[in-house]
Amino acid sequence: MAAVKQTVEHVASLEKYKHGFVTDIEQDFAPKGLNADIVRFISAKKNEPQWMLDWRLDAFERWLAMDEPDWAKVSFPRIDYQDSHYYAAPKEKVGINSLDEVDPDILETYKKLGIPLREQEVLAGVIGSPRYAVDAVFDSVSVVTTFKKELAQVGVIFCSMSEAIREHPELVKQYLGSVVPVSDNYFACLNAAVFSDGSFVYVPPGVRCPMELSTYFRINAENSGQFERTLIIADRQAYVSYLEGCTAPMRDENQLHAAVVELVTMDDAEIKYSTVQNWYPGDPETGKGGIYNFVTKRADCRGDRSKVSWTQVETGSSITWKYPSCILRGEGSSGEFYSIAITNGRQQADTGTKMIHLGANTRSRIISKGISAGKSSNTYRGLVSAHPKAKGARNFTQCDSLLIGKHCAAHTVPYIEARNGHSKFEHEATTTRLSEDQLFYAMQRGLSQEEAVQLLVNGFVKEVLQELPMEFAVEAQKLVAISLEGSVG
Amino acid sequence: MLSVSNLHATVGETEILKGLSIDVPAGEVHAIMGPNGAGKSTLSYVLTGRPGYEVTSGTVTLDGEDLLPMAPNERAAKGLFLSFQYPLEIPGVPALTFIRTALNAQLKARGEPEIAAPAFLRLARAKAAELKIDFEMLKRALNVGFSGGEKKRMEIFQMAMLSPRFLILDETDSGLDIDALRIVSDGVNALRSPERAMLVITHYQRLLDYIKPDRVHVLAGGRIVASGGPELALELERDGYDKYARAA
Amino acid sequence: MSVAAALKARNASALPSRRDEDWRWTDLRGLIRVLPEPSAPFNGIVVKGAFDRLADDHRVLVNGGVTRIEVAADRKAAVALRLIARGAGTHANQVIVSLAAGARLRLLETYESDGGSLAHTALTIALAEGAALERVVLAADHEDAVTISQAQVTLAPTADYGQTLLSSGARRQRLETRVAHPGGRASLRLDGVYVLAGKRHTDHTSVVTHQGLDGTTAQLTKGVVRDQARAVFQGKIIVSEGADHTDARMGHHALILSDRAEVDAKPELEIYADDVACAHGNTVGALDEDALFYACQRGIPEDEARAMLTEAFIGQVVDRIWFEDARKVARAWAAERLRA
Ligand SMILES: Nc1ncnc2c1ncn2[C@@H]1O[C@H](COP(=O)(O)OP(=O)(O)O)[C@@H](O)[C@H]1O
Ligand SMILES: [Mg+2]
Repeated sequence: MAAVKQTVEHVASLEKYKHGFVTDIEQDFAPKGLNADIVRFISAKKNEPQWMLDWRLDAFERWLAMDEPDWAKVSFPRIDYQDSHYYAAPKEKVGINSLDEVDPDILETYKKLGIPLREQEVLAGVIGSPRYAVDAVFDSVSVVTTFKKELAQVGVIFCSMSEAIREHPELVKQYLGSVVPVSDNYFACLNAAVFSDGSFVYVPPGVRCPMELSTYFRINAENSGQFERTLIIADRQAYVSYLEGCTAPMRDENQLHAAVVELVTMDDAEIKYSTVQNWYPGDPETGKGGIYNFVTKRADCRGDRSKVSWTQVETGSSITWKYPSCILRGEGSSGEFYSIAITNGRQQADTGTKMIHLGANTRSRIISKGISAGKSSNTYRGLVSAHPKAKGARNFTQCDSLLIGKHCAAHTVPYIEARNGHSKFEHEATTTRLSEDQLFYAMQRGLSQEEAVQLLVNGFVKEVLQELPMEFAVEAQKLVAISLEGSVG
Repeated sequence: MLSVSNLHATVGETEILKGLSIDVPAGEVHAIMGPNGAGKSTLSYVLTGRPGYEVTSGTVTLDGEDLLPMAPNERAAKGLFLSFQYPLEIPGVPALTFIRTALNAQLKARGEPEIAAPAFLRLARAKAAELKIDFEMLKRALNVGFSGGEKKRMEIFQMAMLSPRFLILDETDSGLDIDALRIVSDGVNALRSPERAMLVITHYQRLLDYIKPDRVHVLAGGRIVASGGPELALELERDGYDKYARAA
Repeated sequence: MSVAAALKARNASALPSRRDEDWRWTDLRGLIRVLPEPSAPFNGIVVKGAFDRLADDHRVLVNGGVTRIEVAADRKAAVALRLIARGAGTHANQVIVSLAAGARLRLLETYESDGGSLAHTALTIALAEGAALERVVLAADHEDAVTISQAQVTLAPTADYGQTLLSSGARRQRLETRVAHPGGRASLRLDGVYVLAGKRHTDHTSVVTHQGLDGTTAQLTKGVVRDQARAVFQGKIIVSEGADHTDARMGHHALILSDRAEVDAKPELEIYADDVACAHGNTVGALDEDALFYACQRGIPEDEARAMLTEAFIGQVVDRIWFEDARKVARAWAAERLRA
């Protein structure tokens, strides 16, 4: 119980949304609105080659012809796509070479967020503690990427997407849009036209990336959207673990975050992708403000026996619309999806995964834990499909929802499509509320109600938490607790 | 009776049996002992023709008749019975229905008349009583929700009902307490006869106190690496398999 | 537009299509470009029906019609309801069933066709307090037929409703059940069995809305598909705000016995109340190879072992039919389809 107590005390010392501050710096904006000139403006700002501009303009054309999707179980006022800045960057020259050139206010921001941007700070940590390299994306641009040199020594490319377009055009051309095609869906298409920055990772054949890579996304500017684009390629027998964190200031207006993440694994390669998403969820009482998190994440397991594992802890955003997916193309390839999605206040989340079994003997595993509290709505939506050629495909899905309070909603919407007689799909789902009996039991042993809730919730999500890298798991556990504060009683 | 010669078998890509030979004459009980993963269960599956267990070379005959081309049910009709290490659960099929279907299928395959329901039920009651099995349990779906010990007992009950000629017991003693072990052994011993033979696979010598073997073989690394009389089992109990595992 | 309205307006382009979420796996618009002519009235003789012997009231609608089944308070009835299509025309049936308080009804329903007909049946079924209804539906359609049956069931508190669908598919076959569940210790059992071969299709769709405290729903559907057949299961349980102490369980389990058959499933939960216990389970796969080997090792030939295991698989649903004679009919039907 000591450990629980500690957690509880720690949590109590944290404020509700601790990342809600604003950094006051000079920003460079694109004019509000969206048209072909804005697309050209963004491309020019980034010194992009002509082929990249052409790609964006083509995407923009297609986007104009598309309709906003309406099938997710979320409702929100129509977005005015003309009322937002599609580019916002700290006033700095592009291509910073050393941390000393970064605006001290930004460094301070990341320090406050607990993200180590100085390599020596990481190194000065506890001996033996795992190191991780960081790409810090501030609104539309990557401000710094750490440990690049050390990674380069083993051949790992880790840099911002803007830099990759300039420095590694052959790789970008080969893979960009190859997993999530330009016109895959409305938000992905918008992203293709106006994407700002994001991370690029290439791990060459046979290399096990020597440290965790991470990107930390921060929306700071007002009236702006963030459209990052991430591309990770693990070549034959390569391995990389990648973490993504996100926060934003508390603002009254809604801000759009429409990211695209593409993962590619070749033969025997593995990518482990973890997300702790803590965008500002909006005001819990009125629902005002908060991030619209409309994200397309997809992995293409091209290689035989390759593997992708998605782990996500979704606690923030006013609306989440997100389905990290795996196309299991390679023979014997496997996909995993571990998810904790917590909604409170007036949040709405519609999240899940797609496991598309194309190759023989492909495997997938889905563990989803949804918790709804307050007046929120939490939907698991997932697709598992096996095509006629996917003989020996296997899926196991466990999908549990926990309800806390009388005015929240939990939905489970799985789609299962089996198209051959040699595959095996198992799906289980439960919806329950926090057990009164267990709560009483814990309280009888001396825990307060809040503590007891946390204890039980931690038990409920444990299976997923343990999939996260150590440091993230601790962080995530705290987040879970904070997100549910005030949900009982 | 059963004769296995230079048997090689693979599961998936891996070769598990690597030139195994053994002869069990009619009327005899042979024990096979060996460390975990030696290939004991694999041998029992290869003999009974489980799909996925592929014989790459060697021969297996029962009374001179080649077993390898036969389907599992044809081998069963020849009198081959395997008491599974992990008996399967058959949801929706009552134990009695299952056994009666099996018995009639075997009789039919041998060109003998099927057994009528009253005679079958009489036989089942008698055998159940001998093995101290609650008759009501036989009306439930086979093995579904049964404990480990109950499943093993149900294997022996099926054996008694089907009265096979060649018996393979794969770790039948695991999961049984002393009383159950005695009941099960009595059931097995009741089937000992000059026309029958058996292969008793076990990890522990304990079972062999009840079912006395004529010969004991050590299976390690997919081969029989040593054979001897009952005293070999005692030696293994005392010294373990190290010596043989190294030899393999 | 609803199917009924589209047929009434004789407008094929108003039929539901795969773009309608509810019909994503049962596309009618893509299938039916031109509506068949209205069915001609039928004057011939119909042969005996599967449930004739089990009922004292026989209702036969051939090529469309309307029938009302009413059971007075505390009375009992057994009705054999036959919805028959002769020829290849389009027609609609309407069935209105009402049970007064404490009434009991066995409704034994069959769908029969002999060609490329397009038939729609709308049923409204209402149970007053303490009424009990068991509905057994045997949909034995022709392989060229398109049969859409849509039942709207309304339960009063303490009513007891049991249903078992038995279907062997058609060119398109949809058996839809929507239940307004008031809670109040009303209990609902919604079961289904399908056994499909050839290129047949069936779609078991249900929506249960729990609207009040203390309701139970138990749903179990099992099916076997072979050849190039396609089965669709869509089950949705909605628990409205305030419908606490709802206990709702849904299971769908399918065996695919060929390379080219397909099973699509969407077991959905939509929950707006917190004090509930809801669960669903879904499995799709081949017959358990280990169980098959086990049976063969005991001497049972493989074909027979397969038949035994699949019959047992289906039998677990059939055994839940309350009315023993109907259970026998169902069991015989399943055995025949499985051994065909
Ligand atoms: N289905 C299988 N696929 C792959 N390897 C298997 C399979 N079954 C058994 N093996 C392997 O074969 C070896 C022998 O297993 P088994 O016959 O079960 O040993 P024993 O019964 O002697 O403990 C072990 O190494 C085991 O891992
Ligand atoms: Mg074994």
